[in-house]
Amino acid sequence: MTPLEALSALLLLAGAGFYLAGTVGLLRFPDVYARLHALTKADNLGLGLIALGLALQAENLAAGLKILLVWPLVLVASAAVSFAIARRAHELGIAPAGAASPVQPAGGVDQRGGP
Amino acid sequence: MHARPDRSPLPRFSLSATLWRGGAFALIWWILAEGRADSWGIGAVTVALATTASLRLAPPGQGRVSFPGLLGFAAFFLVQSAWGGAQVAARAFRSRMDLAPALVDLPVTLPAGMARILLLNTLNLMPGTVSVELRGNRLCLHVLDHRLPVAEEVRQTEAHIARMLRVAA
Repeated sequence: MTPLEALSALLLLAGAGFYLAGTVGLLRFPDVYARLHALTKADNLGLGLIALGLALQAENLAAGLKILLVWPLVLVASAAVSFAIARRAHELGIAPAGAASPVQPAGGVDQRGGP
Repeated sequence: MHARPDRSPLPRFSLSATLWRGGAFALIWWILAEGRADSWGIGAVTVALATTASLRLAPPGQGRVSFPGLLGFAAFFLVQSAWGGAQVAARAFRSRMDLAPALVDLPVTLPAGMARILLLNTLNLMPGTVSVELRGNRLCLHVLDHRLPVAEEVRQTEAHIARMLRVAA
């Protein structure tokens, strides 16, 4: 195994770990908003690592760049979809789970939500 | 199309914008075709269509992107999104999930349009924040832990976007 292949394998494993974390978060987090955190952040980092790991194994520069290009495109789509889902959930009046009623504002911030 | 009273309906032609965007689309085509030369027939047509659409939908002349600003934003974004992924992964695996979710209302200082849309989407990929609603100058965020300095993070993100797009923050 060359050092490049080893690095590639390491990145792929780390990426798979973040996908697993995203899925565990999706199952364990309490409501739609918290689950969006798990999906948009953990899965996107996982995808970035997997794209990087695969790009290292690409046969030529263009093929490698093509794999890397997947990442920013999915990031844009994922961020926009996450906003759409969160906004619709808020419009439907879904309150975030576990939002303590009188929370202390951190850094002069108004707080909303909760019962 | 929306009528803009302060701008003529037909965007002014800008050679430099056309060349820059055409070049960028050609590069993307080259990547997608994995460098094969025999696909440039379709490629040329596609690049021309994409450039035309881009010039129509986002007319040039709204201020060039600052290149050092773009690099700064990209570096900030990469570090923050890696941190965001690691943070949420750690919370997902912890046996007692230590979440303190809340909806937070913050003022937005970036001008309406491109800059704000970029802010909303960037915050979705940053640690601890998901954009929920933008109404007027108020941004509503869902945060996983309101004890973290969310307002500070949003201000930093706004500053990076302002520097990149050369707008006031």
